[in-house]
Amino acid sequence: MATHAPSIPGAPGKMTAEQIWSVEAGERRPVGVIHIVILALLIGIGFVVGAFGSISFPLGFGVNFFWTGIAVQQVGAIWFGAWGVLAGTIFPFFSNAVAGTPFYISLAYVPANAVQAFLPAWAFRFFKADPRLQSGRDYLILLATMIVSSAFGALWSPLVVLRGFGLLTTESVPLFIWGWFGGNVIAGLVFNFILLKALSGVVIRTPSFVKRWLS
Amino acid sequence: MNKTLLGYVPEQSPIYAVHPFVKLFFLLVVSLFPMFIASPEWNLALMLFILGLMWLSRVDMRVLRIYVPMVISMGSVIFLSYTVLGGVHPEFGLAARIAGVNIYWERIRDASVVYARILPMIFTMVFFLSTSRERDVIVAMRSVRIPFVVTYVFAMALRAAGMVLEDFQIVRQAEQARGFDTAGKSIPYRIRKYVMYMIPLFALSLRRSEEFANALLARGYAFTGEASRVKRADYVLTHYSFRPADLLLTAAIGLAFAALLVLRFGFGYFELERSWFIAWLKTALD
Amino acid sequence: MAPIIEIQNYSWRYSYAKMPALNGINLIIEEGAFVGIIGPNGSGKTTLAYSLDGLIPSQYRGIKQGAVNILGREVEAYPAGALQKLVGVVFSDPEAQFTAMTVEDELVFGMENLGLSVPEIRERLEWVTELAELGQLLEKPPYEISGGQKQRVALAAVLAMTPRVMILDEPTSMLDPVSRKRVFDVLVRLKEEQRNTIIVIEHNLENLASLADRMILLSNGELLLEDETHAFFEKMDLLLENGIHPPGAMLFIHRLMQEGYYASRLPLTVDEAAACLTEVVARLKPPGPASSRG
Repeated sequence: MATHAPSIPGAPGKMTAEQIWSVEAGERRPVGVIHIVILALLIGIGFVVGAFGSISFPLGFGVNFFWTGIAVQQVGAIWFGAWGVLAGTIFPFFSNAVAGTPFYISLAYVPANAVQAFLPAWAFRFFKADPRLQSGRDYLILLATMIVSSAFGALWSPLVVLRGFGLLTTESVPLFIWGWFGGNVIAGLVFNFILLKALSGVVIRTPSFVKRWLS
Repeated sequence: MNKTLLGYVPEQSPIYAVHPFVKLFFLLVVSLFPMFIASPEWNLALMLFILGLMWLSRVDMRVLRIYVPMVISMGSVIFLSYTVLGGVHPEFGLAARIAGVNIYWERIRDASVVYARILPMIFTMVFFLSTSRERDVIVAMRSVRIPFVVTYVFAMALRAAGMVLEDFQIVRQAEQARGFDTAGKSIPYRIRKYVMYMIPLFALSLRRSEEFANALLARGYAFTGEASRVKRADYVLTHYSFRPADLLLTAAIGLAFAALLVLRFGFGYFELERSWFIAWLKTALD
Repeated sequence: MAPIIEIQNYSWRYSYAKMPALNGINLIIEEGAFVGIIGPNGSGKTTLAYSLDGLIPSQYRGIKQGAVNILGREVEAYPAGALQKLVGVVFSDPEAQFTAMTVEDELVFGMENLGLSVPEIRERLEWVTELAELGQLLEKPPYEISGGQKQRVALAAVLAMTPRVMILDEPTSMLDPVSRKRVFDVLVRLKEEQRNTIIVIEHNLENLASLADRMILLSNGELLLEDETHAFFEKMDLLLENGIHPPGAMLFIHRLMQEGYYASRLPLTVDEAAACLTEVVARLKPPGPASSRG
């Protein structure tokens, strides 16, 4: 009898966070076409959702008061590991482009977007937080990573990118820092928790769910 | 009409005679021009040139309407950031004092320079998006030997974006059929509604990922293993030939950039001191 | 004909499912056969299709027992991408299986994955375009064409890879009757001109019954009936018990058989049914009066 990806003990509803993230002995999790597809789909969703945020609530240069793309960036990375991080790094480039942010400015935002995607994904795996948000600890880890990662993004982008390109004065930088930070955290508060709560139970059962970083 | 990334362009448009690589090269190189030009009049002239190219390419200029609010708001943000939020600088020349806030000439000048820089960058991107079909972007990427998996992910992402937009319309229509409509409603209401849209959109996309992966596998596509190392014929490239005119255009763009650098760094052209617009603006504000 | 597909005591249970989707399936399909698979929803038809193409178990988690052999080799023994050169699948949702920007790119994608050269691709492209009548659609994006056109594109895209086995999983479920007929017209041509083994999973039997050489009935993951088409439909009671709706004309003649008016072979098409009815009416017509002419 051949068993493929030995079943995780118990139904998904009874799985602990530890079990969700642990790869069982003998469990095969090959990287496959599904991961490439997930990468592309996340870029596509992020493109649409991010562009919506960029066009609807602009502050300028791709900085927004309420950036809906953060949900795809962070939730996608939590569920799909490196594929989500990669997608979260890439899609803002396209959503910003459609919203009119110049090419090289969008390119310079890449580190900020990479960190915003990476940190929640890393924290959930490192601290074995439950993506279904079953306890206060899970909520706290998500909130903390949202705040820290958005803070990095908010410092990198206005300070390094916009000031570096000479697009802002020193005095106006705080406005953009708070705009970036607030725009991400507020949108994250609205979308991230609900998405994780509503869909994680389904996602962890799919072959595309990533336990480690690649599969 | 042929569908481009940002609208439609008639089949008779001369832009189709240009190899997609040239369009990509134009985007990458011409986007850099404003970084080396401080004089607003030159950047505005570049912007007008790009708009002229759009018109020549028979792009439906109504696509620019989407960007008018954004351009205006960006301009407002830049000017506010530089003037009202520009801080106190006694060393600068005072141009005006409004409601107790000092507005300095240097800040107005710098804001004008920055705004004039941003505009051609934006329209270079708009020109590219409105004259390039999805296939063109793939061909451009394959022409410069970007690995197939990268170009294919990009192509799938474009497809996915289209499908998400369609799904969004369907979900929205279903909501409207139930009497939920965001038009004229408050922002918190709208945000709540968009949260409700996001969940089915994500769920639909996840389901689709499985079907899409199956379809790719059924077509013999593999990401790992021997099958992934098959030499692909790149059949789509057979529809495009890089003609002498394309070579000429590419060379012209490259030479224009080189000339810009020489004039800028060798002879001091495009600097603020030589800008008649800045001189005129100073006179007007004095 | 040598068997191209051999399934031996095959069972598959998806992870998190309590019951197996397929249970103890034994099946041999010979090369060149046109086989129809029917069954109520949830009977395991799609699972069987995926098992033949190697999607199960490579893409799905579960527990497998038994063997699925294509050309004498277990599906799992084929390296990634190799089985798909032999077995092609057309899925029920045409929208979900498009991988390219234009119809032409869609047709060409599979051939590029096989590593074919440009001249070979060009030749096959011409062939499938003519076969599936797609000449006017090559430059169009797949999402801008009708449902029937989409399915013909999907069919042609798989056919261009010239698989030895073609599996069509409910290819006409989302189509109107006219589009459905056009898809089956392509299948008729395939059957007449090519030697592919064709397996069609369908609910709608109007078009399938007349094409299939053999029919299979699946129910609750089990193979209940497998036979040559005429003999298959003789077991009408079993089919009706399992929620199968044979073509109306066939059902009508079956009723006549039950009433004792007809006792010969069950018709598969409307024309055959009309011939049966003519025969029945002729037998029932009372002899006319002797001619008084002359």
